[in-house]
Amino acid sequence: MNETISKGAPGIPPEALAVLKETADAKRRFRRNNALALFTLLMMLFGFLYMLGLDFAFMARWFGFIMAGMGYTLLVSFLAISLACILSVIGALGRLSRNPIANSVATAYVSFIRGTPLLVQVYMWYLALPQIGKSLEEMGVHGAQAWFTLPAIAAGVLALGVCYGAYMTETVRAGIESIGIGQREAAKALGMTDSQMMRRIIFPQALRVIIPPISNEFIAMIKDSSLVSLMGVWELSYRAIKVGRRYFQSLEMLILAALIYWVLCIILQTVQEHIEARMAKGDRGVNG
Amino acid sequence: MMKNDTMVEVSNLHKVFGEDLHVLRGIDLEVKKGEVVVILGPSGSGKSTLLRCINFLEEPTAGTIRVGDITIGAGKKTKEHNAKILEIRRRVGMCFQSFNLFPHMTALENIIEGPVTVLGQSKKEAIPYAEELLAWVGLTDKRDEYPSRLSGGQQQRVAIARSLAMKPDVMLFDEPTSALDPELVKEVVDVMERLAAEGMTIIAVTHEMHFARDVADRVLIMDGGVWVESGPPEEIFTNPKEARSRQFLAHILTNHD
Repeated sequence: MNETISKGAPGIPPEALAVLKETADAKRRFRRNNALALFTLLMMLFGFLYMLGLDFAFMARWFGFIMAGMGYTLLVSFLAISLACILSVIGALGRLSRNPIANSVATAYVSFIRGTPLLVQVYMWYLALPQIGKSLEEMGVHGAQAWFTLPAIAAGVLALGVCYGAYMTETVRAGIESIGIGQREAAKALGMTDSQMMRRIIFPQALRVIIPPISNEFIAMIKDSSLVSLMGVWELSYRAIKVGRRYFQSLEMLILAALIYWVLCIILQTVQEHIEARMAKGDRGVNG
Repeated sequence: MMKNDTMVEVSNLHKVFGEDLHVLRGIDLEVKKGEVVVILGPSGSGKSTLLRCINFLEEPTAGTIRVGDITIGAGKKTKEHNAKILEIRRRVGMCFQSFNLFPHMTALENIIEGPVTVLGQSKKEAIPYAEELLAWVGLTDKRDEYPSRLSGGQQQRVAIARSLAMKPDVMLFDEPTSALDPELVKEVVDVMERLAAEGMTIIAVTHEMHFARDVADRVLIMDGGVWVESGPPEEIFTNPKEARSRQFLAHILTNHD
């Protein structure tokens, strides 16, 4: 009697193992079929382009020249995202601040930037700002014109950074607000000041929430960095457009540029997935 | 002048939420050094609010709070007022119903957080005492675990150790066992009991009847934001004078014992 109860099952029974194996097989089959379908789709795409008479040799010839613009693309994106990160933290603190000046400045910043096209903002920094400088110069501010006339790269970094900073302000604010009231109370009960609480308790936890959306923004920015081509910076898309126009082979050049951006974004996405996986491993727990 | 054996003194405390939710209606409370006080009362009676006013997690609407030699009156949030609040919070430890451990820190990091960030100690200075506290709550082996890997009872014991790391003069317990599974309650109550035995001044809101009856020096019953009755536990539990106390005690004793 006793034996039948205490013995139980020492291992997983064979029929359960069969079920587990079937589940694993089904998963593997799905992954394989998925890869197959994707591959077929790509082949069909290239086949279609080939039928259109796409000049692959031409693409190969100019590949190096276009890739040389990658440096600018990455430089602008990297500087702009750094600026955006700084602005978004300041902006989020402003949006959450009870100081009326800080709060209204941050709110106006987000509202104005989100409410105007990035294209217009880029021209603002590049073309409209020097005019402001000129007016200031005439009003007697020495050196204003020189200061306000920005080189194309600087204007691009500022335009992208300020713009993305506004969008990311809302992300950071939401991240900070997502941390439970219990965490604030525990920090306060220990006697922490507001800034200690922010630095030690709230922000490190908010960071885990906001890193995924921020990496999304970074990926989006890689693509929007093509807007600096408007100011004649020899970055990736500018080079592609120039070459395409010159030889009347815009299709080849645009497809090439698009593919390069695509691959770049796939790489970044992989990096993002790695970061997220690593953060998920570190015990996150629940906010109590 | 200051009575030197009174650790906490609450006088004529009022708390109004919003415009007219009058939760505390002129509460007085004096707690002596080393005294263990348990506050009972139906839910919504204002017990937790009283505790939270003592360390200013809630700003009192009127009245004064004194802890040791620091007195704060309700009123304007001047710089001085805020500085005094921080000083009181450093001397008053608090344990919450939902533990509120910092999830991004290990048990040990949670415990040294106060001494390091608030008191400015180096990690080297803070760690030995934190390890001593971990041993004292029986969790030496959980030193490097994150809160998500601990049971509720273990989390609450770490939370107690975290408060104790500040070497507080007073400990506030806000329903510390209410969120725990029944089999985990004892390990937390045991820690509270040992804390009381070591002479800590304790103000606890709890429905843990064993703690109220056998550990507390004094039991107070609150209802509707005023005291209904107070006295030594044996008196309150065997011979309550007020009808409302009798009613409330009958209710919790049948539900909890």
